[in-house]
Amino acid sequence: MGHQSSKKPKVANGHKLHAVEIVLIACVCGWFVMELEILGVRVLAPYFGSAVYVVTGSVIGVFLLSLSAGYMLGGWLSRKANSQRILGINLMVAGAWLCAMPFFVEPVCDGIFNAGLGEKWGSLLSALILFGTPTLLLGTVSPTAVRWLTTQASDSGLNTGLVLAFSTVASFVGCVVTAFYFVLLSLRHTICTSGAALIALGIMILLQAVVQSRRGKFHKASGV
Amino acid sequence: MESRMRKVILTLVFCVAAFCQVLFVSVAAAQEFGQLIHQKDSLYHRIFVYRLGPVVTLQFGRRAAAGMQSQINLSNLRRHMLEYTGLAFCGLLYKPQPQKMLVLGLGGGVIPREMRHYLPALEIDVVEIDPEVPTIAGQFFSFREGDKLKVHIADGRMFIKKQLNRDPVPKYDLVILDAFNSDYIPFHLMTKEFLEQVKGVLAEDGVVIANVFYSNRLFDAELKTFLAAFGRCQVFLGTYSTNAMLVAPGPAAQSLTVKEAVDRAMVLQRQHRFAFDMLTVAKRLQPNIHPYPSVKVLTDDRAPVNWLRTQKRNKSPYEVP
Repeated sequence: MGHQSSKKPKVANGHKLHAVEIVLIACVCGWFVMELEILGVRVLAPYFGSAVYVVTGSVIGVFLLSLSAGYMLGGWLSRKANSQRILGINLMVAGAWLCAMPFFVEPVCDGIFNAGLGEKWGSLLSALILFGTPTLLLGTVSPTAVRWLTTQASDSGLNTGLVLAFSTVASFVGCVVTAFYFVLLSLRHTICTSGAALIALGIMILLQAVVQSRRGKFHKASGV
Repeated sequence: MESRMRKVILTLVFCVAAFCQVLFVSVAAAQEFGQLIHQKDSLYHRIFVYRLGPVVTLQFGRRAAAGMQSQINLSNLRRHMLEYTGLAFCGLLYKPQPQKMLVLGLGGGVIPREMRHYLPALEIDVVEIDPEVPTIAGQFFSFREGDKLKVHIADGRMFIKKQLNRDPVPKYDLVILDAFNSDYIPFHLMTKEFLEQVKGVLAEDGVVIANVFYSNRLFDAELKTFLAAFGRCQVFLGTYSTNAMLVAPGPAAQSLTVKEAVDRAMVLQRQHRFAFDMLTVAKRLQPNIHPYPSVKVLTDDRAPVNWLRTQKRNKSPYEVP
């Protein structure tokens, strides 16, 4: 892989990806975070209405909270030697969660509503249960991407800026496309398709890591 | 020093420009509805109240396209300034002596106020999402709550769901869905799933009435959704506005022909001495309106209401496709 084979051995860097690929992964995740956030309002409205609490309080609040937890977790995971495999698995789990979500939206929201929680705390709890996990997992991507891109400390700020800028632009595009165009499509299908796309991305990342490490082991064993 | 001056000048120019903009918009609006007498930013809207002589107008948002929420004439409160508030009485043709009524969306409160005027025994629940709206309705639109007329601050769908959880479930004879303005429509108050919930609080012989606009495709989609949820739907079309009433009679209520509607309207007119002409309302019943086959039923899963609203209908609503 071009940029990393130049200098320094990759101790604990844990990935075999090109810089462009890393930024692209961050972009895809940036897109899905915002797509999910906008769809989140549509998911909850039938159960908790469209009062201002639901939209600004619950949905946006839960996304911010989950993202911050995801950043923390991602930062910690980025130090692992097998961080690429972990990231692949994270994305697959997030995707699987999205694919399954349309089937548990109703029991979760109705259950919480019938337990006596209304548009404020009910929608907050529902948003946390429904969107917390996938958003957290998507949040682990940025810190890991920064870690992968960084080979020397002096570049860390630049790399952070790069990852944040690109993934946020992707968030913007995801936001606009979802709000303007995906609204014409079935909510269920949009969420499931997004989940499938995330699973595919996760599998690709995981496979690449596995193949590369096999090849590494093979090279080591054969003394090349 | 110079750059500081430049900053100050730029800020001043900006302020003046902003002021001119506000002034221009106010003047433009003032020409139409008179003087702006009240303005309030609520959680959901920018609420404007205008007055021109005795005529008070309620508007959400400045844009002309936002349309009027309510309009009343203080010198004659019985006069329906907007066509749809009169058309909303069409429910009485199906259920002449209602006991209980539910209205989603308050606005200036004309519909509940007038209903109470003619039917003092009627118990009315009004659901309004915006806590500022009842205050303004009371201050400027002669709207008063009372023992039999209650305003609940809630999302319409949440209110109905809570009613469904009560034991026994309260049943309404008339349900008026008016939580829309021509500018923004909450999708979750138009879907088949929502209408199924409305059905749950509807008396067997009650009727559901939705105020919609027949100038765009949302009309077809909503009509189709009503047909999907209730099995039948009758339409009253406005003449000098593009308002239409979709009326879905409950299982034990009767669908009407124009003649039956007119006959019932004459009886009601004699009985209540409406200040408007109930006969005209009855004659607005259009039995031959069907939704375009290509539009889909609105569901919680897919309800592009705000997009449909921008799709103009290219055929007159009187035509049967």
